[in-house]
Amino acid sequence: MKLLRQVLTLCAFVGAAVGMSTPMAADVSKPNDAPKTAVAKAAPKEAPKDLILKGDAKCTGCHDEADDAVPTMLDLRPSVLSIGKTRHGAVADKRTPTCTDCHGESEKHVNHKGSDKPPKSDRWFGKKSTTPVVERNQACLACHQGGKHMNWQSSLHANRDVACTSCHQVHAKHDKVRGKTTQAEVCYTCHKEQRAQLSRPSRHPIPEGKMMCSSCHDVHGDNPKQMARGSVNETCYTCHMEKRGPFVHNHQPVSEDCSICHNPHGTNIANLLKARPPFLCQECHSHTSHPSQASGLPTGRTTSTTLLGTVGRGCLNCHTNIHGGNSTVNSATAGRFRR
Amino acid sequence: MNKMFQTFKLTALSAALLAVYGPAQADDAATAELVQLTKPDSTISVGIGSWSADRPQQGIYDGMRDSGAYGLLDADIVKRDDATGTWMKLNASNLGLDTREIRAEYLRQGNIGAFIEYSRTPRDNPNTYNTGLQGIGTTFQTISGAGASALPMREVALGTVRDLTHLGFYKNLMPGLDFKVSFKNEEKEGTRHWGMGSQALFMVEPINSTTRQLEMILDYTGKQLQLQGGYYGSAYDNAHSLAMGLVNGAAQPGTTSSPNPVPLSLPLDNLAHQVFLNGGYAFTPTTRGTFKVAYTHTTQDETLPTYDLAAPNNRFVGTPSSLNGEINTTMAQLGITSRPMPKLSLLANLRYQDVDDQTPLSGFAGNNTTGVISVHNTPHSFTTTSGKAEATYRLPADFSVTGGVDVSKQDRTYPQFQAERYVPFRANLDETTYRLQLRRSLSDTLNGSLAYLHSDRDGSGFTTTNEAESDEINPIHIADRKRDKWRLALDWSPLEKLSLQFAVEDAKDDYGHSDARPFGLRDGSGKLYSVDANYAVNDDWQISAWFSRDDTRATQIGQRAPRDGAAAAEKDAQLQDVGDSVGLGLRGKATSKLDIGADLQWTRNHSKYNESLTLVGAGAALPVSGGQTTVAPLPDIENNLSRLKLFGVYALQKNADLRVELIHERWKTDDWSWMFANGTPFTYGTTTDGTTVTANQKQISNFVSVRYIYKFQ
Repeated sequence: MKLLRQVLTLCAFVGAAVGMSTPMAADVSKPNDAPKTAVAKAAPKEAPKDLILKGDAKCTGCHDEADDAVPTMLDLRPSVLSIGKTRHGAVADKRTPTCTDCHGESEKHVNHKGSDKPPKSDRWFGKKSTTPVVERNQACLACHQGGKHMNWQSSLHANRDVACTSCHQVHAKHDKVRGKTTQAEVCYTCHKEQRAQLSRPSRHPIPEGKMMCSSCHDVHGDNPKQMARGSVNETCYTCHMEKRGPFVHNHQPVSEDCSICHNPHGTNIANLLKARPPFLCQECHSHTSHPSQASGLPTGRTTSTTLLGTVGRGCLNCHTNIHGGNSTVNSATAGRFRR
Repeated sequence: MNKMFQTFKLTALSAALLAVYGPAQADDAATAELVQLTKPDSTISVGIGSWSADRPQQGIYDGMRDSGAYGLLDADIVKRDDATGTWMKLNASNLGLDTREIRAEYLRQGNIGAFIEYSRTPRDNPNTYNTGLQGIGTTFQTISGAGASALPMREVALGTVRDLTHLGFYKNLMPGLDFKVSFKNEEKEGTRHWGMGSQALFMVEPINSTTRQLEMILDYTGKQLQLQGGYYGSAYDNAHSLAMGLVNGAAQPGTTSSPNPVPLSLPLDNLAHQVFLNGGYAFTPTTRGTFKVAYTHTTQDETLPTYDLAAPNNRFVGTPSSLNGEINTTMAQLGITSRPMPKLSLLANLRYQDVDDQTPLSGFAGNNTTGVISVHNTPHSFTTTSGKAEATYRLPADFSVTGGVDVSKQDRTYPQFQAERYVPFRANLDETTYRLQLRRSLSDTLNGSLAYLHSDRDGSGFTTTNEAESDEINPIHIADRKRDKWRLALDWSPLEKLSLQFAVEDAKDDYGHSDARPFGLRDGSGKLYSVDANYAVNDDWQISAWFSRDDTRATQIGQRAPRDGAAAAEKDAQLQDVGDSVGLGLRGKATSKLDIGADLQWTRNHSKYNESLTLVGAGAALPVSGGQTTVAPLPDIENNLSRLKLFGVYALQKNADLRVELIHERWKTDDWSWMFANGTPFTYGTTTDGTTVTANQKQISNFVSVRYIYKFQ
């Protein structure tokens, strides 16, 4: 490799010596199809032309392919030019913004002379950005205020100084937070409790990429608990509609809020239950007869309801239709979710 | 350094090409490079992987439960016509697995678009079932009987599969006005661990249902005004409404209180229509108002499947043929946000939600002997009015302080007949929450927040129930409750290459109780400690690590009634869950052609179920029935998961990679859920049934895969 590099460098000097740089520089800046090369910079100065976006020459004059960070697995530096791979790079859509629509005219940054580091653009979006969050977000909301972002300003995220770019990678070909297998990792940046819960034995298929945090949560909105639909139950019903009823025999907490009994992010108990029967059921039911039984594992095969409240499905061994039943037979069983 | 080297490479390469081949070729090379950086690209990945052993627990959802080889086929194909802004996308993942997904999309950006998507989600039950149950998957199942009526046992696997088809359409009607349609059709089929009550017999719920969701939205986005209105309809259709469970050899048809076969109801079809309108208006650049209104009409009016059953399951006199269930939900919300001065942000909203259960009250079951109705349906309505006010003030040195208050008032209905109330109810429930947060942001090296929350919930008096003993409990979801919660979060970058995150959370719940109402959850607490570190060694290597510990505790007080020889007792349960998780990650560029990575995940969860009894009457400590008793206190449960993943991606050529992945996975648990006290697998019934459920407590498996990844534009 080293030898090859030396040969190439030698060729470059030879080429330069025979004065071939001028004709090359004259034709290297066609928008979208003929970029400047690094050698072109050494040629007589010509006004830079756009590379991707309308008017981007103001920026790509410096942030060109020679300056760009090729996306890597480490994702340490964003690739400026890879915005061309995204919807923000589709210039046929007349709504597509240009660099300065988001970053500001940034005259001080553009006109900086000297070898030291230029001042930041008017709006910059890195992790250590000093641009106020509201101002950063305004760059996005200028176009994305409608639809699902209508309630952004009253959302919990907005009011905890979360910037759009805290989660979104605008220049990246694949915005991690929009990917089925990568979104949770972004959310875990702040939501540590959910990260731990999603490694428990009973959970939704989020690590497998079959669901995303945003399957249930609308992080741009202001619904209670940031739910995707108007309430917890309405959200759960989108996949578990058999629980919606109404049933002949409703179980009141079920019709009110699934999260009274379930923790959707993950638990150590089957079916996302927050507590294990009989403890869970006895948070409401503690009266005479077998529902009041103490916890304990049976010593052997039994059909006694006094001994079956802990093992297996616990109380649900018998009260099997716990989300609601539609039976009209046998008063002792129908109304108590056994039929 | 690397960036300089890269720039040098490009410069040297361009110049060299220019010198050797002339300007046209140099242009071509540079153009190709720019195209590579700025134009959409695609990948196709083909490979094979193999697990060395079954993974019943870890393979519940990933379609690779069983050992053996699996085809690995993924594609992400993106084409864009720059002249028209037209995208054509085809995304396929896991095509060789039971978790396959494929999506095709056409989009003329800013004008019109459509997509179709198919996704399959399996859920395999991790337990092993050895059963004589006949008719699994159907609505008539025969349970193994006693003696000569026993049915042959065999091993069965339970699980469900969801097949989702999603269609979408988008059209821009005029500048600022979009029309969107989304239609989802999900078929769910399979089997679910179920059961027949009274003596706990094993049955399997046959699942064959369809869920459909249609959403049509008209979106208007203006500079000041935004509106979104539309329709959302959802329907659930169940192919089965009733299942019958027959105990083989038992007398038929039995009696009203003990029929054979036993009818078990299944969820019935239901339907909901919703219309909604959301709006936002910017009064000034810093003041914005929003509103939402939605009305939902939900019905369940399918004929009751038990209505026409013959004796002894015949209906009670006066039972209607249908529930005629109807719930109308109205939601309205008004909100305003404002920044009256640069340092002050204000937020306020008011929300009203009325769940109005209009289902007529009817009798559906009753006295088994007289046939007189005494069990009615239980429509449940509740109206919640909530409000929120919050202010954030920005202090010097990048600090800000946020204070807020949430108020919620709920009016609730409860079962009309006291004899049918098994739990105390409340007609009103109120909760007020105060929040305070101090936050520092915009700092180069140290950001963080400290938040405190206090809430207080109470309500009206409790209704009486059908039994005096039941009146002595505070149901968890309506009990008086005081909640205090702290959260500290720090994001610190002591070095340019090193970032650290710390989070500490502490929450305490104190549930109300009195001498007259002493039982239920008494208190609860939760703690979370978390540390994350990320170190970029250089431009080529990065290390990450994290640790978290969560500790959740609850104290639950109850009473035990004397039964099966056991004395009356007061119960004091101390419940605890402690979870420890560690994650380590390494990413690096080993050579110019080889990227490597490693991830280690280790998780341990430890649960304790200590319950002590104070006997308050004559009798034994534990019940005895049929020669069996129970053993208490319950043993602790510990779950352990370790997973080490190693991968390497080698660039075979500029447009092709080879990816090799190795996973070592260990899962271990001593969960006794499906065990008798002596550790043997749980078995249903005494003389009948005999179904044995075995949890697979230890699973160790290794995975190796090789993929060829082809990249193109």
